[in-house]
Amino acid sequence: MEKILITLHINDKPCEVMVYPNDTLLEVLRDELDLTGSKESCGEGVCGSCTIQMDGKPVRSCLTLAMEAQGTRIKTVEGLANEEELSDLQQSFIDHGAVQCGFCTPGMLISADALLNENPRPDKKTIRKALAGNICRCTGYAKIIEAVAHTNNPQESCPDCITGSKTGSKPNKIQGE
Amino acid sequence: MSDYTIIGKRMPRVDSRAKVMGKAKFTADLKLPGMLVGKIKRSPHAHARIVNIDISKAMALDGVKSVVTGKDTEGVKWGVFAYTRDQEFIQTQKVRYIGDEVAGVAAVDEETALKALDLIDVEYEELPPVFDPMEAMASETELIHEDFPNNVNIHVNIDTGNVDENFEKAHYIREDTYVAPEESYFQAEPYAIVARFDHEDCLEVWCPNGGPHMKSKPLSNAFKIPLHKVKIRKITIGGAFGGRSEICPVDYICALLAKKTKKPVKIEFTREENTIATRQGHAMITTHKTGVDKEGHVLARETTCYMDGGAYSSTGPIATSVPFLSMEQAYRMGSVRYNGYRVYTNKPIRGMIRTHGRGFACGLDTQLDIIADHLGIDPVEMRLRNSRQPGEYTSTKSFVDSCAMDETIHKAVEKSGFKEKWGKLPPFHGIGIGTNSVQTGFPMGIRGGSQSFIKFNEDGEATVMSGVVDNGQGNDNMLVQIAAEELGLLPEDIHLVSADTETTSSDPGSYSQVSTFVGGQAVQIAAKNCKEKLFAVAAKVLKVEPKTLVAKNRLIFVKDDPEKSISIKKVVRISLLNFTSVNAEGGYWPKVDMKREWVKNPYGQMCEAFSFGTTIVEVKVDPDTGQVEVLEVTAAQDVGYGLNPLILEGQFEGSIAMGGQGGMLTEYHEWKDGRCINPTMLDYKLPLACDMPPKINSIIVESIDPKGPYGAKEAGMSIAMSAAQGYSAAVSNAIGVFMDSFPLTPDKILTAIKNKEKQDQKV
Repeated sequence: MEKILITLHINDKPCEVMVYPNDTLLEVLRDELDLTGSKESCGEGVCGSCTIQMDGKPVRSCLTLAMEAQGTRIKTVEGLANEEELSDLQQSFIDHGAVQCGFCTPGMLISADALLNENPRPDKKTIRKALAGNICRCTGYAKIIEAVAHTNNPQESCPDCITGSKTGSKPNKIQGE
Repeated sequence: MSDYTIIGKRMPRVDSRAKVMGKAKFTADLKLPGMLVGKIKRSPHAHARIVNIDISKAMALDGVKSVVTGKDTEGVKWGVFAYTRDQEFIQTQKVRYIGDEVAGVAAVDEETALKALDLIDVEYEELPPVFDPMEAMASETELIHEDFPNNVNIHVNIDTGNVDENFEKAHYIREDTYVAPEESYFQAEPYAIVARFDHEDCLEVWCPNGGPHMKSKPLSNAFKIPLHKVKIRKITIGGAFGGRSEICPVDYICALLAKKTKKPVKIEFTREENTIATRQGHAMITTHKTGVDKEGHVLARETTCYMDGGAYSSTGPIATSVPFLSMEQAYRMGSVRYNGYRVYTNKPIRGMIRTHGRGFACGLDTQLDIIADHLGIDPVEMRLRNSRQPGEYTSTKSFVDSCAMDETIHKAVEKSGFKEKWGKLPPFHGIGIGTNSVQTGFPMGIRGGSQSFIKFNEDGEATVMSGVVDNGQGNDNMLVQIAAEELGLLPEDIHLVSADTETTSSDPGSYSQVSTFVGGQAVQIAAKNCKEKLFAVAAKVLKVEPKTLVAKNRLIFVKDDPEKSISIKKVVRISLLNFTSVNAEGGYWPKVDMKREWVKNPYGQMCEAFSFGTTIVEVKVDPDTGQVEVLEVTAAQDVGYGLNPLILEGQFEGSIAMGGQGGMLTEYHEWKDGRCINPTMLDYKLPLACDMPPKINSIIVESIDPKGPYGAKEAGMSIAMSAAQGYSAAVSNAIGVFMDSFPLTPDKILTAIKNKEKQDQKV
């Protein structure tokens, strides 16, 4: 099998990359392009850790061939922030304690971002359904659902909806990041 | 109530920014120059003698750099205790489960490594396998390990005396047996490891772990190199839940391949390997016999538990004990006799898991509900009459200092409306309560303590070094919060260096719920010592006594005269100009009974503090499908002191998901001839966002433990355990049948409903 040169549009930038026809998009993102934010957890399209957006729709990159992604707009977790400025959704995840081990977080954010782009103020039932393809083993989902619900719809009754003004939301120096 | 600045606040976690940006590096994300891909050759047989291994074809394959077998291991064996060293890192004589390690390969890429595995020719002579612990004990075929008669790996016997006499005095006695199959951790991150030997012949390792120092010592032993030459590095970890506490054969194999090839080697487990070849939870058959007086006080209890331990010992002595210990901590018992048998079978290895023995705990609580029903007492009153009280000793002689078990019960009952709902809910609608207790650590000899170092930099910021590891639960944040509070700095002024065996001192690891109590406390003490040095300098400048000073918000000032202040940065610089660096160390070693041992002497002070939790669950059961809809869960835990309510709530909610929603409704393994037939997320049913109860009430109860840092104990574990009990009690209440086989899947629920209908018709 020979490698082929393809162009992928990832996070608003064109990327030329040599791929095998049977390379998955996840393999190309992680191994060729060093975009390791997308994770592999199950490898069979069940867990959602590898979720990316293609033309705004959440897609399993472990079940998508890189070749298939040509001509689409791809968004990964690395494309959510504007340089160092976090998106409202990312900030909401931090403020609401929606991140624990963080392994499912990239896929979870991408699914939630796709939802909010379609429906900026979804109710909790809609969120639960939209995130049903992303498995989280740590949080029990409660804080994730709250973080998504409050992103564009902060609640006065919520003690965690005071975006940006709290300690710890600034960059912090932790070894191993 | 307190005048803490940072402690006790809903502080978002310091590690979450890197995680939401996709920048946090997990082991599988690492790439080192020249790195090879490693793969493991595993046994296809449950029990077989290895006759011959031929690696010549694999070695000849282009791109293969090394193939290792048991011949390369120098016969080293692994076991947590001296008396449980029963596992070779690569098998030389025989294989004992489907998945046992027989060889390792390092190659230039994954495809080549996988091809090489197929080219390794292993000749086996199959032996009769045994998959059931009861059969294993009676089996007359070849023992799984020849030194263990009847395949009994561990026998824990605890006897307080007077058990038989007290049964005679009992007003009412019940004996019931409860069963539950294996469950798995399903950490989001599949296990992965990168190992290399550096230019100084030091072994450098990155892998998810429950304690870096628990990895470094066995590797130092195995490779016969000094401890300082094993450098376990910090890396982001995608969950542990008890399953990553000890070393695994793959750690050794990866390091051995790195040694042979002189290159970095990375091994990434598939999801199936993560389930089969790390650890699982034990399957258990538990019989509780309980005798009570007329008021329902437990006078005597006899518990016998048979645990399916799988092929090797792992943390066997601990895992055989903790289900019992949790219950003896939660409940007073006049007298008790416990016999726990961990039995070898030809199945994957079982270890510690977050919900220690769901069949054990749910069985005990179900039986209390049966007895309460017989005596005409409600389940809440039954628990209050037997609940642990502060100032008491447990049955195995641990003094219980702080204890707000009753408060957790009262608060959960009030919030959930239990009293108004009990006995008054419509058919197939139920409510149930579970209570539990877990320990903060256990006697670990020289590794029971933690030590921290703190150094100030000239810019007034501080570096904190600690051996505590963060598996995802928020330990990094806990350490930063404590250091910032004590030093009077902001969290962003703290640089944390942790979980690295080169730069940090020994620490017990982040299992047995010990991290805050021991590791957090070590940081608190180090920070206090460091602050004393700052105050000595500041006092001279401000011309006051050091004891009048406080540190907050990067300033040191006189408590009663805040205008009199100096910045911490300035104090550090003045100190340096006077030829004195500002740094300190601090350590904490819990005062436990070092003579206590799991098998030989299971009595004495286990740990310094215990947490207590109550979970109340309300459910609706569909009598046509057996499906359970969880309406509301209320969890209350005595955490000692809530260091960070935001993180605590997350622990409670996650505990409810794993212990209750998954652990009691959907999660279990199925087997065919020793092969796990649901090792992946497709077949093993983990709770999804849409499955979770719409309403979770988290109640933090504070008992301010006299020995814990700020009074804190541990967060969430007694909820994981009591959630399982609460879920099972609620389902039993909804269908009017006390269930004895867990988890409560629709098939079991439908059968129970049908059997009850038949019985009701007869009456």
